[in-house]
Amino acid sequence: MSSYRYGRPALKSSVDVQLQTAFSDGNWSTVIRLATKRAAALKDPYYEAIKMCAESQLDGTAEKCGVVVAIDDLVKSKKTPDIETIELYEWACRDFFDYEVEYADTLGPLRVRWAKANPGSPLALQCLQSCLEKWDLVSAQQIATSLDKAYANTADRRYMFWNITLTFLLSISPQCTGASRKVYSLLAARQLERAADLTENSAKLEATDRGLLTEEEICLYYRVLLSHGTKDEFISRFKSHKLGAISQLKEGRKLLLCEGLDALETWAEWELIYNLCREALTLGLEGATSPFFVCNLQIWRKFASAASKVADSDSALGEVQAILKRYIELKDKASAMYKKNLSLALLETTFRLPATPLNPSNYTPGLSPRVVQLGLFLDQYFERLSAFDDVKDYVAELSFEEIKTLMEDILPKLLDENADKPRKTVLHALQYKLRYLLSTCPQTLSPQPSAANGEAQKPYQCLKTLIADASKSYRKINGDKDILDSIPRLDKDPRLDLALVMGTSLLKLSGLRPRTPDAGHSLWQDVDPELFLQAVLLLDTQLRETPGNTELRLLLVQLYLLLGCASYAYQLWTPLDVKRTIQDSLSPLFFDRISSLSPGLFQGTRPLMEPLRSFYSHNLCDRSPVRIWDAFAAGSYTSILDMTEYDGNLRKSCTVVMTLVEERRATRCYGGKIDVEIEEHALAENINDDTILVNKTDYGPFPNLESIHGPPIHEYLRLGPGLSNERSHLAFLSEQYMDLLHYKPPKDYKPSKASEVALRDREHTLETLSRLSNSLTGFLHQPATPTRLTAPETTYYTVLSLLSAALLIALSSPRSDPVPQTLSLLSKSIKSALASLRTSFFALAQQGTAAAANQQTQTHKTSTLPSACLHLTELPHLAAIRDTALAVRHSAAFVLAFHDKELARDRSGRSGLHREAMAEMKALSELAGRALAEVKGCVHRLKEALAEAGWLDRLLGLVFAEEGEDEGELGKVVEEVVGGRAAAEEWAGRVVESWREGVKGWGMVRME
Amino acid sequence: MANFRRFRPDDLNKLSKCNLDPFTETYDLGFYLQYYAKWPSLFQVAEDQHGNIIGYIMGKLESSPDVYRFSEHYLPWHAHITAVTVAPGARRLGIGKLLTEQLELAADAGDAWFVDLFVRVSNHKAITFYKNMGYSVFRVVKDYYGEHSTDPTLSSEDAYDMRKPMKKDVKREHVREDGEKHEVDPSDVW
Repeated sequence: MSSYRYGRPALKSSVDVQLQTAFSDGNWSTVIRLATKRAAALKDPYYEAIKMCAESQLDGTAEKCGVVVAIDDLVKSKKTPDIETIELYEWACRDFFDYEVEYADTLGPLRVRWAKANPGSPLALQCLQSCLEKWDLVSAQQIATSLDKAYANTADRRYMFWNITLTFLLSISPQCTGASRKVYSLLAARQLERAADLTENSAKLEATDRGLLTEEEICLYYRVLLSHGTKDEFISRFKSHKLGAISQLKEGRKLLLCEGLDALETWAEWELIYNLCREALTLGLEGATSPFFVCNLQIWRKFASAASKVADSDSALGEVQAILKRYIELKDKASAMYKKNLSLALLETTFRLPATPLNPSNYTPGLSPRVVQLGLFLDQYFERLSAFDDVKDYVAELSFEEIKTLMEDILPKLLDENADKPRKTVLHALQYKLRYLLSTCPQTLSPQPSAANGEAQKPYQCLKTLIADASKSYRKINGDKDILDSIPRLDKDPRLDLALVMGTSLLKLSGLRPRTPDAGHSLWQDVDPELFLQAVLLLDTQLRETPGNTELRLLLVQLYLLLGCASYAYQLWTPLDVKRTIQDSLSPLFFDRISSLSPGLFQGTRPLMEPLRSFYSHNLCDRSPVRIWDAFAAGSYTSILDMTEYDGNLRKSCTVVMTLVEERRATRCYGGKIDVEIEEHALAENINDDTILVNKTDYGPFPNLESIHGPPIHEYLRLGPGLSNERSHLAFLSEQYMDLLHYKPPKDYKPSKASEVALRDREHTLETLSRLSNSLTGFLHQPATPTRLTAPETTYYTVLSLLSAALLIALSSPRSDPVPQTLSLLSKSIKSALASLRTSFFALAQQGTAAAANQQTQTHKTSTLPSACLHLTELPHLAAIRDTALAVRHSAAFVLAFHDKELARDRSGRSGLHREAMAEMKALSELAGRALAEVKGCVHRLKEALAEAGWLDRLLGLVFAEEGEDEGELGKVVEEVVGGRAAAEEWAGRVVESWREGVKGWGMVRME
Repeated sequence: MANFRRFRPDDLNKLSKCNLDPFTETYDLGFYLQYYAKWPSLFQVAEDQHGNIIGYIMGKLESSPDVYRFSEHYLPWHAHITAVTVAPGARRLGIGKLLTEQLELAADAGDAWFVDLFVRVSNHKAITFYKNMGYSVFRVVKDYYGEHSTDPTLSSEDAYDMRKPMKKDVKREHVREDGEKHEVDPSDVW
């Protein structure tokens, strides 16, 4: 690593002590004086460089920039400076890189010149490293080429492969222009092709030969081939006798086989996949590799899947079974994991076989080989934590008859009467989970009777029965000391599974569905509050029993966010300790839309999203991927490619945009200062309209009892559609629009030619508005966008798109011409959008009141829901009204201020804005003002409502029947599981307190 | 249920099953990538059928810095297990053992004399696990850990430095029978 990274570079040892001391002390005026003298006396340009370097440390802009000019001159002069001068200049420019100074145009070419002139010097390697750290691939590739030539046919093979890797990286990088892209692609591919031929054709390769030797070199070759070669070339080499996947496997290298099979799958090369898997698995049986070396489930699945798709699939599947049988004979020697892989492979193969009765002469409907295999698998593994996940997709494939047989005949007989109670309990818990799963499978729904409990029932009745049965088991466990004592010895507390079954069943019964844009405007319009709250209460009670279970905790975090209890959700989120590297994939589970739900959370002592921001700032501060030089130094070529790809995705992560946007929105809520425009933010450097933003949210830790036939559980629980390229871009553009409206020149900025500057500002404003209008409209009209936003979000971004177009017209239409009619149309659209946003929100309370007056027609307890509750779960909608109204108001203010500025610039008044345009803007502003007053009123009413006494009783009244009321059967069941109404009071207190905290935060939000 | 393969950086987006477990430490990005950059074959993962990472092992190949070459505590070329973890839902299937075996294979391929690791002396479960795999205590590093895992009144805890000889160590020169009796300071461990 270059010394300048750690501080000032060391001066040449030939420099006198006086100058050395002044330099190391940072005594810059002395350094300048002494260096000037030495330069004059010794005629050595190095002293000029020292002087420039010292001047760059002074405060004056001209002195600071002197070094940039010096570098520019040096680059143009085609001279090769000495390495010490380059080091000095690089250190002096360290703060300018990526802003005023582009490394690839300045220091990069100087480093290239030096390295080309001195390829044998160890310092040439340092030049390569410096260019890589600045991610100047053009210069790095040139240096690597020189090093490769200088060290050709030496035992250090890295030079050759650095050259090839960098040529390849350049060929796929935006740093490479169109014409040269093809050249670099060819160059990388040809060099590797030659190396591959040499390997194939040599009896034995020495380290000094330019062939492919190591696993990393060979895998690099295949990666390049996959990118720049043809399918035929890839396949031909993949089957070859030395560099083929099977030959490599024989040498103990399985990476190539795994990567290659994935590629073949995308090309649907089933015959080849089948043959390769067969050969690979046979090697293990024949002792050419260790027996279970390739015994991955992935390989078995690919093998069985390919066998079912080749020409003679019957015989191929027969071969799969034969090989599997041979492995099963070895099973005793295998570890538990491989034994399980084999059992799963057997299941996979059975499910890929054509459906045939097990014994045609004695056919029992439903007792198919698939059911038998499932029974055998569960017989071995039903006690394992992963048993349900292992079989759920297979069970979902079964026919109605098969399901019936599995549930009624096979599973109940897995344990005999005398089996111990804990094992029976675990088996029952699994059966309940499977019953829930089956309630989500189409084959169990009407018109066929439901098989979820073996009887003909409607789906909701089936879930009710399931809840009742599961609760019985739950209570039985709690009442049995033997079972309770045995729980620590089990893989998982069976009560957790039972609670999940009951909780998710209640959620389903409540009517909860994914919050897609067409969903109702209020959670309570979709769900029965009684059942929904019962589910939350039941799951929350279970979390108190099993606080260490992350699945349940995450589920509850989402449920409380949905319920509008952000502060309580945050309390549950914090112990998950989502920090450092896993933040990018997990933070959206809590932070997405958080500023619109609960801006008050940002008012804590520590900035809420600081850890996330620091993670990105720390890891994306350099242009190069983190630790990339380590991979070069170690000769890990596939690591280089993967790390580069990962880094690229991290820079384009939707979570990065979410972090920036959520913080800025919350800051604006409280009138805080936004330090930098979003477009200028270092983390947004790589984002423009063409960037495809990547969503890597990890939903893996959620419990998921749903079948593949429906959406996974997390989609039911989110506040709206998950992060996406479209939503992230719209959010990013909306913040740019806000930046434009709120821009204020620095106070000390007093241009001498104010009028000229004002004219340039005007042009810039119009250009920005035009760009934002086009971009917002473009993203709003993308086909996927409607499914990526909630309805209020769509309205907000639509209004911004209309506003930017309206402002563009208002500001650019000459006063001498009539105002284009479009302005009035845009204004109408804005008014109508704002009106619909307001109406849909404020109508909720009226709906609640109307419902209360019409209780007879209600099928659930929405009627008894306090009207405040209707709004508490819809705070993101309230935020959208506020944001939209404020955007309108600030846009109007911007137009009026623009008019005033124009009048000041041009006293003739000709450049001022149209009176009609001004009037239109004023009308919009008034409308927005009214909307903001309504928002303020709503928050005030919520605060008053929550300050009233009796909330605990109201909430508990929703969950359980009031005294004297006929309590529903599910209410009784939940009450028994959670330990009675009294036990639920504490929970109700937490919910109400969290609502109060959220509304308190909203009470401080500025409406101006 | 599981595939064993080399780590890929994209796996960092799928670590939740392992890393949300309070006993698994989440490191800085640079830490994971350093291991992947320098010793990719010693960074192995187990993934489930949905691509979630349910276990991983991180290791490195190194020797003590040259400056310690003549010290009695000098460590020759060896593999070191830095972290090994299995998601709670995937335990008791031998995944930890298989991952360790994969690392040992890579250590043999890298010509290592032995594989070593540090473990808290109170972590009996882990010590038994490693002993069953052929590891033995080589030395006790006094007060290696800054806090005690089970006794909050104690401000530190000792570590066992456990080793398993690799194929290169034919004469088993790098292991000892009575490692528990050899105590060293943390400053002797590099």
